[in-house]
Amino acid sequence: MLARGLLHAPHHKRIGRCLVHSLRTYEHDPRWPGWQVVIGLEVHAQIKSRAKLFSDSWTSELGEPSNTHVTPYDAAFPGTLPHLNPTCVDLGLRTALALDANIQPRSSFDRKHYFYADLPAGYQITQRYAPLARDGKLDLPQSNVSVRIEQIQLEQVDPLSHLYPQPLTLSQQDTAKSTFDPRRRLSSIDLNRAGTGLMEIVSRPDMRNPEEAGEYVRTLQALLRSIGSSDGNMEQGSLRCDVNVSVNRPGEALGTRCEIKNLNSVRFMIVAIICEVHRHLALLSEGRPVPQETRGFNENTGETFKLRSKEDAPDYRYMPDPNLPPLLLDQNYIEQIRQSMPELPHQIRARLQRQGLSQRDTDVLMAVDSGREVGYDGELGQGATAYFDALARDRDPKEVVNWDLRKDAAQVYARPSTSERPDRLAQELSLTAMQDEPDFLGELCKEAITKLPEEAEAVRQGNTKVLNKLVGSVMKSSRGRADAQAVRSKLQEVLLPNASS
Amino acid sequence: MYEGDADDVFFCHAARLLGSEGATVVGKANCDEFGMGSLNVYSVHGPVVNPWDIQERRSAGGSSGGSAAAVAAGMCDVALGTDTGGSIRLPASYCGVVGLKPSYGMLSRWGVVSFADSLDCVGILGKNVSSTQRRHSQSMTQKIPQQLAPKLVNERTKLVKKKCTPGHLMPTETSPALESEYFPTAITPSVLSPLRHTLRSLQKRGAELVPVSLPQTQFALSAYYVLASAEASSNLARYDGVRYGLHVPPPPGSPTHASTLTYAHSRTRGFGPEVRKRIILGTYALTADAFDNYFLQAQRVRMLIREDFTRVFRVPDLLAATSRPASLALPSGGVAEESAGVHVLMHPSAIRTAPPLSEGEAKEGGESLDAYVQDVLTVPASLAGVPALSVPVPADEGGDGWPVGVSVVGQWGCEEMVLRVGRAIEEVAL
Repeated sequence: MLARGLLHAPHHKRIGRCLVHSLRTYEHDPRWPGWQVVIGLEVHAQIKSRAKLFSDSWTSELGEPSNTHVTPYDAAFPGTLPHLNPTCVDLGLRTALALDANIQPRSSFDRKHYFYADLPAGYQITQRYAPLARDGKLDLPQSNVSVRIEQIQLEQVDPLSHLYPQPLTLSQQDTAKSTFDPRRRLSSIDLNRAGTGLMEIVSRPDMRNPEEAGEYVRTLQALLRSIGSSDGNMEQGSLRCDVNVSVNRPGEALGTRCEIKNLNSVRFMIVAIICEVHRHLALLSEGRPVPQETRGFNENTGETFKLRSKEDAPDYRYMPDPNLPPLLLDQNYIEQIRQSMPELPHQIRARLQRQGLSQRDTDVLMAVDSGREVGYDGELGQGATAYFDALARDRDPKEVVNWDLRKDAAQVYARPSTSERPDRLAQELSLTAMQDEPDFLGELCKEAITKLPEEAEAVRQGNTKVLNKLVGSVMKSSRGRADAQAVRSKLQEVLLPNASS
Repeated sequence: MYEGDADDVFFCHAARLLGSEGATVVGKANCDEFGMGSLNVYSVHGPVVNPWDIQERRSAGGSSGGSAAAVAAGMCDVALGTDTGGSIRLPASYCGVVGLKPSYGMLSRWGVVSFADSLDCVGILGKNVSSTQRRHSQSMTQKIPQQLAPKLVNERTKLVKKKCTPGHLMPTETSPALESEYFPTAITPSVLSPLRHTLRSLQKRGAELVPVSLPQTQFALSAYYVLASAEASSNLARYDGVRYGLHVPPPPGSPTHASTLTYAHSRTRGFGPEVRKRIILGTYALTADAFDNYFLQAQRVRMLIREDFTRVFRVPDLLAATSRPASLALPSGGVAEESAGVHVLMHPSAIRTAPPLSEGEAKEGGESLDAYVQDVLTVPASLAGVPALSVPVPADEGGDGWPVGVSVVGQWGCEEMVLRVGRAIEEVAL
């Protein structure tokens, strides 16, 4: 049966990337005048599912004891068979819907072969010939650019060490799963992460500068978090990017691209792209061609380095996986997923602004919101906007958001329960302003004087500079709610009754 | 390469089901290494001698030669085997026992060491059709745990029951077909005349014989060896000597900077010559340069063979309807008219009686095409994923007196019908 899908699907090669001429017009960039930079990204986002993509064992977190999340299937024991985790499919579908992509009624799984110590079966299961979804888009609000998404595919996590034949830098070692002890001449393998589900999201080459690429990753990250399909955590390796970079003269054909593998921070990605552009320009200015290469990025030197040329690209011997039947999705099922979709970031933003919130308040709320915990299997955590919605239900949203949003929003919104009354909660967290309580202020000032007798005496002697220390003490004990000016005059009133009169 | 030390991790699911029905497992049987071979000579335990006459030292067939020999020798009532391209039916034919390769996916492959996943089937070898049938239904009808289920089996089984009503299963109404492609020149007269005799007897009992043609089956053997080898090269990549099986440490001073260099030592020593040969062939068929001409071409042939079968069968191809969404349904092929076509196909199980072991042993390491040709009659049903049963029939005077098997092949899911015809063959043979 596997033959059918393969034969019906065109032999898919990603030639689109080189042939597509973007609709975007050339924009001058002072960093490289007269040149156009073209960037496309492949983002690998780890699916936030409880279980792995094809086995019952649970996904692992960093720092768990080695080989505690391994079933015989994960270790590629003979006689074991894969079993597709439907939750991973659902989260992949959410992602496809959020990116406005065409979900394919029929997709299938293929094996990508290579030998590596932490790839026990000798192949990685991916969707090469028929991906889950095609032709989506992601709008970047700041750059005002719409980046086209070529495809979204489900796959097993690839051994990171495979991508880095060179010695690993410190931050990568955290996620690499094959370690070598030179003293004992022993390699240790940890299969905790083997078989975890990933979504590979491939963009078209629609970005024109490193900052747009950065915004793309941040926007995608926030989107994946908001729908719960991935926690998008780059430090822990659950979101990684491969960047394709080329340069060309405006109006001319696209240049030869180089792929920088496995970038795990937006900042490093931007540095890597800038470095790569300058490397291309240096080659071209000497009249030399840019060779098509796969490159790595050294975080310590901020430079890219050659991993392999086009000629020594490995032959992965792709083959349809005969153990996995095609994934058939009917319209009803997709519609069901669509109905249960959480609100997307741009929808929340639009709604908040309709409610009268300023751009800045919206940004703060959304930023706090995106920091919330992402639950497993698509369970949605209650974030800042959800809490704001609960607070603002019978109130003026503008007033609610002004409850000292900037300073303490994180504290308020991070509280999980929405059942508490907001005014009580605000009091408990000492968020309410204190101007209505003059006696209380006097109490605080007396306390400060008792606490700091030497300073109080100095003030009495006329050393007004020391007064600041007392004011600071009162502000501290009031947890910042007191009006500093009022405190100052209150203290002067108590310590220097003659001067103030 | 891999000594079966995984028993403590898990147990073959089909065997577990038989055990829960009261069966006692008496032992493990010899077979060709990773199921690759047609004569059961590629085994670290040595070749299997056909128990029909031990003095003559003939092959029991392969790869499940040990299972067939155990049944033939009366050591057990039934034996499990795996059939990728004929590995149950060929030994059954050579040893004079009944061998059933069920529809692809009908019996769980959980616990079965994979050779070629899209072809591998767990099947039953038995003394007679009724014991084979009983064990087959026991190893299937149990509720299959979700994670063990061959994909979609539950759903399809329901469909099958609906379509294959007993009405048109009566032997008197059965119309077996003779295929011209199933009578290649390599076939020996000693297996042909017993088949003719059987067909005549069935005809006397009311069966209608219809000659049919499956023109694509002539390409089956080539397509089979490309696909089976390609899948084997993929499935056997896991035997790297790291987690289980033989580990040969790299000799001091040898390069170890890539995993492949380290693994090569274990794999070169661990795999036997036939397995090594097929891994290399399969690896080549999957390389970017060869993929279109070999692997993809073989897949096309496989599709055509499947369509050949569906065209001649009276029962429509149920999988054609379920394996694709409605929007992609075939315009006509899916649900054919039930009136036309035959119920089952019949052909000899093997091109000859059991060959002497000396022939197979002599060729070890440099096997000629002969051993591969043994499979020529059995691989079409494997590629099509349809059930096939080999039933022993009486040898006639002209032959060498060794057992001869006749194969009955039905549409996917029609085990019941195939087994009924098998029983009729047994009855006329008495």
